[in-house]
Amino acid sequence: MKHILYTIAALFVFAASIQAQEEDSWEKWGPTTGLKDGGFIARVGYVLGGTTPIPLPAEIRKVNGFSPRGGISLGIDGYKMFSKRWGVSAGAHFFWEGFHTNADVKNYYVWLEQEGEVTKGYFTGTNVTSTEMWGVTLPLLATFRMSPRWNVSAGPYLSLYFHQTFSGEVFDNDEGVGYLREDTPTGTKILMTRENPTPYPDNFPEKMQPVALGIEIAFDWKAMKHMNVFGLLDWGMTDIWDRNFEAITFKMYPIYATVGLAYRY
Amino acid sequence: MKKTSIFAFVAVPLLLASCIAAEQDNTECDIEEVSLHLDSPIDFFFHEYDTLQTVISTETDIVFTIRSYANIQSVPLSLRITEGASIYMISEDGTETPFLSGSPVDFSNEKVYHFRVVSEDKVWSRNYSISVVHDKPSEGNLFIDYESYHLDASGKYFVWDAPEVFPDATWKNGNPGFKISKSSAKPMDYPSTPAVGAGPDGSDCVKLETCDTGPFGRMANMRLASGSMFNGIFDVGNALTAPLEATLMGSPYTHKPIQVRIWLRYEQGSVFQDRDGKLVEGVVDEPDFYIVFYRNEDAEGNKVQLNGGDILTNPNIVGLGRLPHHYNSDGSDQLSNDPIHGVTDEWQEFTIPVVYRSEIDATILENQGYSIAFGSASSWQGGYFAGAIGSKLYMDNLQLFCE
Repeated sequence: MKHILYTIAALFVFAASIQAQEEDSWEKWGPTTGLKDGGFIARVGYVLGGTTPIPLPAEIRKVNGFSPRGGISLGIDGYKMFSKRWGVSAGAHFFWEGFHTNADVKNYYVWLEQEGEVTKGYFTGTNVTSTEMWGVTLPLLATFRMSPRWNVSAGPYLSLYFHQTFSGEVFDNDEGVGYLREDTPTGTKILMTRENPTPYPDNFPEKMQPVALGIEIAFDWKAMKHMNVFGLLDWGMTDIWDRNFEAITFKMYPIYATVGLAYRY
Repeated sequence: MKKTSIFAFVAVPLLLASCIAAEQDNTECDIEEVSLHLDSPIDFFFHEYDTLQTVISTETDIVFTIRSYANIQSVPLSLRITEGASIYMISEDGTETPFLSGSPVDFSNEKVYHFRVVSEDKVWSRNYSISVVHDKPSEGNLFIDYESYHLDASGKYFVWDAPEVFPDATWKNGNPGFKISKSSAKPMDYPSTPAVGAGPDGSDCVKLETCDTGPFGRMANMRLASGSMFNGIFDVGNALTAPLEATLMGSPYTHKPIQVRIWLRYEQGSVFQDRDGKLVEGVVDEPDFYIVFYRNEDAEGNKVQLNGGDILTNPNIVGLGRLPHHYNSDGSDQLSNDPIHGVTDEWQEFTIPVVYRSEIDATILENQGYSIAFGSASSWQGGYFAGAIGSKLYMDNLQLFCE
């Protein structure tokens, strides 16, 4: 995590040093020709984020670990400025994103169904989850030019997923507590340990929505004549799970940020 | 616009992950441990350790057994319950008064006390009973025809009544574990079921069948469940983590067993599979039936209860009788394709003598220092989740002869 932030910081320093002597002007940093022109931006970025319930439910007691999975985005946007300050853009960002997390939970309701068999109840212990998603995000954004070199864009997006994985397992926490109370908190207490962890059923990915809707906010900074440094946030507004999926009682939203470089012309 | 804004956006999901909501009150309401405090416990109990009971999550009727002639009065009763929960004693007219752990309770005349434990969040509660009963001396010899059975409280599987000297006077088996893995199973789909009118004399008998445990069984790497029947405790809470240890076998017995006679019939499943579900060539499934007599206390006075892992090998075993099998030179079970157990698909009565490897101490015997364990299975390697799905062992009319 740290080395990624350092890399990003270094990029900014590098970009800032190049432009330090040059004088800002709306024409110079504008679209390639003229203030109302359009063009394309090809983006390559690093994706970091998570798929999370918002707010975190009280069942989640402690996040022990978090690490990104995948994290690549390749995209192209077309843009058109209507005036000195206003424009629109639309594009396609292909991504591979995901994360792995380890959290302690208490009284976490689980409802597992496989081939007609159901196991359900309240789990207390450690829950490990990994998810990865391959897909494309199609944003449609309004662009506001804040200064000669800074653009901010915002608008809705639609994500289409080509492939999704969602796996995990449950076992005892560091204090050795790991159990399921079958059906209700007064039901049979079934112990679970890390020596013999209980995995999620492998049918979870089938219960994931193939599409997602959300809001994208993007910041572009014109580092050089044809190069942007950008950061954008895709905030999912739709639950990743099918509405009738009972295994996870809370809604989970994909929230992923991308930082990277773009070629602009 | 500052450059730091981009960092802020990257950090948002991470910040969210650190917003832990306030912890909610506990929802559980168990009695976890019960103990009676006596100055001289051995005057009342057969073992020092009998004054303390760890309560498994499926148990709600807690019974202490004292010597038949002992006269217990008011003794301090300590209860360990779920953190944050509160406990009430329920009087005969239904009124509830908070119970302070360690308060004296008059257990004379086998009076049964009722308690209600209420969870910290006040939403859930469980009722328990606690009593002290006198040991009922047994005559030693037993005859068990497996005719007395009923559905369990959940209505999912059958339970058989056992002689009163056994815990809860019921036979134990893996049915409660099978229920966790195969919620859709009907009572007659379970590994241990009654077989109505199928006994050698035309009466009901027991059918033990090795069953597929379905998708959850595969997930837990426990692909099959052997039908079983034993006396002791099945701690279903440990069934996933330590299945052999969850099978706590044996109960104290004050008579020296000499031999068992039992009617058996076996239908061998066709394909023997190992724990990973892989077909094992050149091996056939075998049934098992055994009787074990063992010393139930170690040199330090700690309780010894054998389980599915050491029921046939523990050094505390003093006497053992089992259907014949092949063994490796180190004494371990040997899989083969020419079994010698002799059980066929025709009913036969088998006589299994108990072979003693050490002398029985009469005083220890009298003071419940030995336990008797009966074990039976449709797949003799079922404890290791190996066997042939569809193997069926029918049992009836067990007779125990004691000295």
